[in-house]
Amino acid sequence: MEFKELPPVKDQIMKCVRCGKCRSVCPVFAEIRNETAAPRGHVFMVQMLRDGIVEPDEAVAERLTTCLLCETCSVNCPSGIDIHELNAAARSYIYEKNPSLAKELVFDSLWTRPGLLRTSTKFLWGAQKTGLQSLARAIGLTKILPGDLPRAERMLTNVPVRSGRSQVSEINPARGERKYRVGYFLGCATDMFHPSVARATVDILTWHGCEVIVPRDTKCCGQPHIANGKMETARSLAAHNVKIFNSYDLDYIVTDCASCSAALSHKNMKFLLGGLKIEDQAMAFSEKAMDLTVFLTEVLDIEVPNAEIARKVKVTWHDPCHLANAQGVKQAPRELLKRIPGVEFVEMANANSCCGGSGTYCITHHDLSMKILDKKMERAMETGASKLVTCCPSCIMQLNFGAQRHKWNAEVVHIVDLLSPFYKALPKKAASQ
Amino acid sequence: MEVKDIRNQLVKMLGRDKVLTEELDLMYYSYDSSFLTKLEPGKPTAVVLPTSTEEVQKVVRFAYENDIVIVPRGAGTGETGGCIAFKGGIVLDLSNWDEIVEIDASNMQVIVRPGVIHARLNEALAKYNLFFPPDPGSSQMCTVGGMVANNASGLRAVKYGCTEQYILGLEVVLSNGDVMMTGGMNARVIKNVSGLNLTKLMVGSEGVLGIITQIRLRCWPKPKARGIAMAVYDNLDDAPATVLEVYQAGILPSGIEILDSSAIMAVNQFKPEINLPDAEAILLIEVDGNPPSVDYEGNAIAEIAGQRARSVEWATDPKRMAELWEGRSVTATAAARVRADGSRIFAGEDISIPLSKVADVLRAIRALGNKYGIKVVNYGHIGDGNVHTAPVINPENPEEVEKVLQLVHEIHLLAIEMQGSTTGEHGVGAVRRQYAELEHGLAVEYMKGIKQTFDPKGIMNPEKLF
Repeated sequence: MEFKELPPVKDQIMKCVRCGKCRSVCPVFAEIRNETAAPRGHVFMVQMLRDGIVEPDEAVAERLTTCLLCETCSVNCPSGIDIHELNAAARSYIYEKNPSLAKELVFDSLWTRPGLLRTSTKFLWGAQKTGLQSLARAIGLTKILPGDLPRAERMLTNVPVRSGRSQVSEINPARGERKYRVGYFLGCATDMFHPSVARATVDILTWHGCEVIVPRDTKCCGQPHIANGKMETARSLAAHNVKIFNSYDLDYIVTDCASCSAALSHKNMKFLLGGLKIEDQAMAFSEKAMDLTVFLTEVLDIEVPNAEIARKVKVTWHDPCHLANAQGVKQAPRELLKRIPGVEFVEMANANSCCGGSGTYCITHHDLSMKILDKKMERAMETGASKLVTCCPSCIMQLNFGAQRHKWNAEVVHIVDLLSPFYKALPKKAASQ
Repeated sequence: MEVKDIRNQLVKMLGRDKVLTEELDLMYYSYDSSFLTKLEPGKPTAVVLPTSTEEVQKVVRFAYENDIVIVPRGAGTGETGGCIAFKGGIVLDLSNWDEIVEIDASNMQVIVRPGVIHARLNEALAKYNLFFPPDPGSSQMCTVGGMVANNASGLRAVKYGCTEQYILGLEVVLSNGDVMMTGGMNARVIKNVSGLNLTKLMVGSEGVLGIITQIRLRCWPKPKARGIAMAVYDNLDDAPATVLEVYQAGILPSGIEILDSSAIMAVNQFKPEINLPDAEAILLIEVDGNPPSVDYEGNAIAEIAGQRARSVEWATDPKRMAELWEGRSVTATAAARVRADGSRIFAGEDISIPLSKVADVLRAIRALGNKYGIKVVNYGHIGDGNVHTAPVINPENPEEVEKVLQLVHEIHLLAIEMQGSTTGEHGVGAVRRQYAELEHGLAVEYMKGIKQTFDPKGIMNPEKLF
């Protein structure tokens, strides 16, 4: 579809009255503090692109990509404009006119092939261990990669040897009587960086009576591609995943990654695949898809077992933008935390403000990302919690780095990590609850 | 002077971080919230982001010596094109300069720099049980400097008045770079009638006389309690009649807002949970003060309004009050929801009319909408006769644009004919200056004379106001 004909570009630009409400909520504007970073400014610039007043070049892309795509502006826009979709559409349009070999290598050749991506991850791990990364840095290899990577690479730590996928079966029977057949969308970041979360997710779901299917050919959800102007690749990835999951007779599709659940949502599927042949299949897929926190609290309505092993722990919650803004899910994770024995939950101020991680943003805009992170960490530390909990691998990476940066002696964990011990302690053949 | 040289000189003066010179960056400063700048954006020659009086002085002196236009800008939330350099020039983006210099609680005053956001100021003052009462709908994003330059007010002007009533003194950088202190800028007094009142002259001068760089504001004690009455009317005339009867009962509410049927629909479409009832008009009447007086006045208002209204709801529950008030505060942009393929525009949006003629004017505006085939949403501060009209059009359809420009022209003429004004609180800027002669007659010549005194070279935000 032509750029001008994309629904947000065609229908929404004219709705912007430039009231400036978005200036008051945008975390990036709060740092850059001039109009070039205002979300309404991005809408204006997309309009200039559409009307051919500016060229689709790197200079425009540079301005548009200061945006985190955190969607804070979109959810606060009184005119109801999906500003992040406009921005993403413009990035894609600009990329099409200015293709880049480096991006094709990363986003088309690598990030569309789970096996290759995992191998690369292992290499990265090996490189850390053997000092190859230092060598690469020494010869300037990291400099050919985008943005602030040379400074951002210090964020890469502890890449596990074994992927999540290698530790879970394709078909995992329900323990006890089966209630639902659930497709588990195992996202790239959970797979590579948090394999224990993948294992625990399967354990939790099966314990609560779900047969869990982990399709072997699941590909990336496409979020990194959308953010980096690779919309066409994101479309083909989404279409692939829709077909794969629809080939099973599933009751629900869940994921433990907030970014993935946003990508699988009705809204994003409409954005990517609306108007295409596969639209109906995509809508059927997204109707079944939801974040794990929603599934556990609203569908399964779980009671966490084995409460006697609980230890008291004070936790606070960080709302991933892809959960709170993109899907409007704020209550479910809090409800889930309250159900975990021993947990004392304390709300942090502005828990739904962005951490500045935003996938590859912490690499491409490292310094800006750190300023946004610092504000987040100040509010997190004020809570006095010993664990900072969230459900987005990208946020975890960023917040972990924030904890180190601020010498904060708290652990940053996925919500599944908090649940996991209660299920590890169970006998293998426990009855379904 | 060549554009390139202007830019280089500014960078030399303020440093690379405080000057925008790239063409793309300058485009972002070609708009505010006015419909005019959607049709005719105005790109500046350069944008500077000063954060000290000395930096403003340097830039203004440079502009004076080289005959370069200077246009001050706050958050760019204005609706008149007032902060736009339509023919080039240097835009001073003052929104970065957001220091609260001093809260002098014992003298009920605060000193701020122009970029302080209205809502942030009131958050800071709340710690001292103080507040700066004017309450624009754009509180979360507009700057106090912009409020002073436009003499803004808002939803509570009926009781608390406009910005000008709270300005004790100003620091102003004049067109030649000199710094002038007006009124009590250097004093700490509340009463001060010494000298000609240059402070009042500067408030609402929209940047045509000088650049406001520091503001001494008077604060008021923050009321302890609030309540909101919502009265629902089947007959439009009953709404202004209630307002008059409330006044006659000796009650001065802190806000009296009206939403007509089109505004009710817009609010409900935007936030269904607010769930306003279908009606010809809704009045939202807010009272504030001490708890016993709020209760007394709220009950009295409910009784008075109940004589004409279909129903009256009196709320003191903070959640419900916030919903009702939020419904009103989002109307400005939620108006677009009445037409799926439309957008509200900010034009002809701020007329002020006598209270006795509110119902007639609302009907006349609806009739004008019908005449041009354009949906209009009406809402506003009925307590002081300030009506906000939101035409909803497809702004990218040239025929609709042509029609709406005629419509808003007629709305402005209607206001003058009804013994009103073309603007109650948003200001004149570029969009309403054509009505200056009609509204002010001979006074415009004296306004021009005053400008000539302050700005002999005509570099300060030219072609605005008159």
